Amino acid sequence: MSARRAVALAALALAAVAWALVAVLLWRSSRVPSSLRLPKVRVADLFTAHQLARARAFERFGRIDWLLSELALLGVLAVYARRGIRFARESAAGRIGTGLLLGMLGLGIVWLVQLPFGLADVWWERRYGISHESYLEWALGGWLGLAGTFLFVSAALVIVMGLARVLDGRWWLVGGPVFVALAALFTFVQPYLLTDTHPLRDPSLLADARRYAREEGLAPVRIVVQEVHAETSAPNAEAVGLGPTRRVILWDTLLDGRFGPREVRVVVAHELGHLSRDHLWKGLAWFALFAIPGAWVIARATRARGGMAEPAAVPLALFVLVLLQFLALPLQAAISRHFEAEADWMALRTTRDPGAAKGVFRKFTTVALEQPDPPGWAYLFLADHPTIEQRIGMAEAWQRLHPAPR
Amino acid sequence: MDEHPVRVTVTDDLLRNRWTVFFRLILAIPHFIWLGLWGVAAFFAAFVNWLVTLLSGTPPAPLFDFLAAYLRYATHVFAYVLLAANPYPGFTGEPGYPVDVELGRALPQNRWKTAFRVVLAAPALLLASVLVCGATYSFNAHATDHGGSITYYRTLGGVAATVAFLAWFAILARGRMPRGFRDLVAFCLRYGVQACAYLFVLTERYPDADPALPEAVEPSPPSPVRLVLEDDPRRSRLTVFFRFFLALPHLVWLVLWGIAAFFALIGMWFATVFSGRPPAGLHRFLSSYLRYGVHVYAFLFLIGGPFPGFNGRLGSYPVDLELPAPEPQGRWGVFFRLVLAVPAFAVTAALGGVLVVTALLSWFASLVTAREPVSLQRLAAFALRYTAQTDAFVYLLTARYPYSGPTTRVADEQLALAE
Repeated sequence: MSARRAVALAALALAAVAWALVAVLLWRSSRVPSSLRLPKVRVADLFTAHQLARARAFERFGRIDWLLSELALLGVLAVYARRGIRFARESAAGRIGTGLLLGMLGLGIVWLVQLPFGLADVWWERRYGISHESYLEWALGGWLGLAGTFLFVSAALVIVMGLARVLDGRWWLVGGPVFVALAALFTFVQPYLLTDTHPLRDPSLLADARRYAREEGLAPVRIVVQEVHAETSAPNAEAVGLGPTRRVILWDTLLDGRFGPREVRVVVAHELGHLSRDHLWKGLAWFALFAIPGAWVIARATRARGGMAEPAAVPLALFVLVLLQFLALPLQAAISRHFEAEADWMALRTTRDPGAAKGVFRKFTTVALEQPDPPGWAYLFLADHPTIEQRIGMAEAWQRLHPAPR
Repeated sequence: MDEHPVRVTVTDDLLRNRWTVFFRLILAIPHFIWLGLWGVAAFFAAFVNWLVTLLSGTPPAPLFDFLAAYLRYATHVFAYVLLAANPYPGFTGEPGYPVDVELGRALPQNRWKTAFRVVLAAPALLLASVLVCGATYSFNAHATDHGGSITYYRTLGGVAATVAFLAWFAILARGRMPRGFRDLVAFCLRYGVQACAYLFVLTERYPDADPALPEAVEPSPPSPVRLVLEDDPRRSRLTVFFRFFLALPHLVWLVLWGIAAFFALIGMWFATVFSGRPPAGLHRFLSSYLRYGVHVYAFLFLIGGPFPGFNGRLGSYPVDLELPAPEPQGRWGVFFRLVLAVPAFAVTAALGGVLVVTALLSWFASLVTAREPVSLQRLAAFALRYTAQTDAFVYLLTARYPYSGPTTRVADEQLALAE
């Protein structure tokens, strides 16, 4: 082994150790009490056989559809990685311009490949009354988002190819942090990109939200309602933004009467929990932990095609990126579940209402058809929240730790 | 390819009587009434003609002659109203009018093409409506407060109608119809009558959108702003399908460059007003910007196939723009440049509708055949050429007013200029 190679391997090992250290620190910064043991919850006691069968049937199709779409996507992108360079003859632009064209065409292929699977998903959701969109609305309604994605891909390729022209194979050292900065910028402005929103008008819920925020150590947070009932009946909420732009978004399907006032308060407290525990910042940190080594892998993988300064490397880079995302799914899902579990715990601590929490989680199965006990592989790859079983278990565990005064 | 059986002949001398032009619409009222009545009869005759042709394979001669006379008469009336001709037309559709139509004779037709004639004619009729009289379209918007929806109607002015409106003022001032305007109206009428003849099953030949055919008798005046079209009409279906999205980075770059170009233009205007000659540096900068815009719009509207570069360099794209070197310009002309350009802006706006419709039709055609229809490409290139000439005039890159005639036959002086 040459000295140069030994130094490179040592540097790689050092980087891996540093990565693991930061990852452990990040993981440990979010947690529920270490002494917490979740009691075993029997889903058969919580739901009727019909409810369980309906949720299982609904989710089974979605999972198969997702798996097939991922396999098709990887297959098509593998072919594109080998043959995509042919499209360079469709370009009268220089190297970066041709790279943009190849990148955008790759994105177009991704969209086309996923279109039938997406339509199948809409068909299935319409069958179960979850989606209210027509097929045409679904296919064409997202054109603005698609246009934004094309622009983002273009900007990303300009950055990467521009850096690669200057820094050659070391572009990832600057490129990785640049993309982290872009992700932070996107998280910051995301609240302004949401459409069909209006401030929450329920004064009682607003007053409670202010109180929860104070109890969770937050300055007052804006609560915003997003009108989605025309597209879906599924309930949802999210915490978005950073610093001055942070807010809680409640879908109007959560406020249409199917969820009681106490249950809605649990959801609000959960989202405030994300903000009080800095989950968006931590999410960015995790993104950095994945993006920088991911950029390094892409730089290594495309060396045989002349590196990222050459348009011929773009289709291959796209394939490697999608493959890395696929492989990282279990880790990303685990991190997301970790955040969600902590937000659930914060909601229980703030509202002190495990009954309402259990009610919400139950309705996620009866209303949104979320399977309470998904199969192991689906849990590993797709579950970005704890299962309904686990969430109800946590509410019961909290209840045992804080018995109601007699 | 042999000549289209439906031809428009122009023997007009461009001279106009100001009084008849001033009252043109009022004078045309009897013709409108007669055209409407004849149109009702023509509608039923066209239906019968379609049915008989479908069964026998050939239009019956009496119906062919009746419908041909109707189309000829309609062309006379439109030419009169749109100021492409001067004499008051007769009411019978007899040949001999300065803007006339030759429709040939009834020939056998393919029955399949006859059976689906209305569907097949729809794209041509859409283009004809944008070329001649304008198109009205509607779209719905959701009204969020009440959950209902509002329907908006928008009208795109037809090219011929817009040109006639401008020509009305020009004729009242000069007593002559500008030749470019007359030729453009004649082209629009030619396409319109070819589309109607196709719809009425008088011919099975599809309307030809190529604005340069048949070749004009007189060449176009020389212009220092020339559009060069050397594109291979073969297309990649994938780049056609995603054309709008692929053009997005260029559109963003065009907007950013446009901000700099706006300030450069202000500097150019002041410098040219005072010195009588555009500064070379600013002239070069604005030329590159304008050429880049032509490359981008050529790509967006499917006139060009390849993805363009981002620098607007001459010779870098198969749909290119040749621009003159800086030359002295009259100060008054420069001072009032924006005002002078208003009629050209109106024509450009009307031709914008043509660009959109040709792009839409080309998009479908290229997806099916993997080739850009050459006649649509040339029509769109003409619209883009006029737009570029207008921009070059406004950006003070040339003092030459844009020429609206659709011919591509160039004068000897132009050839000398190009060499």
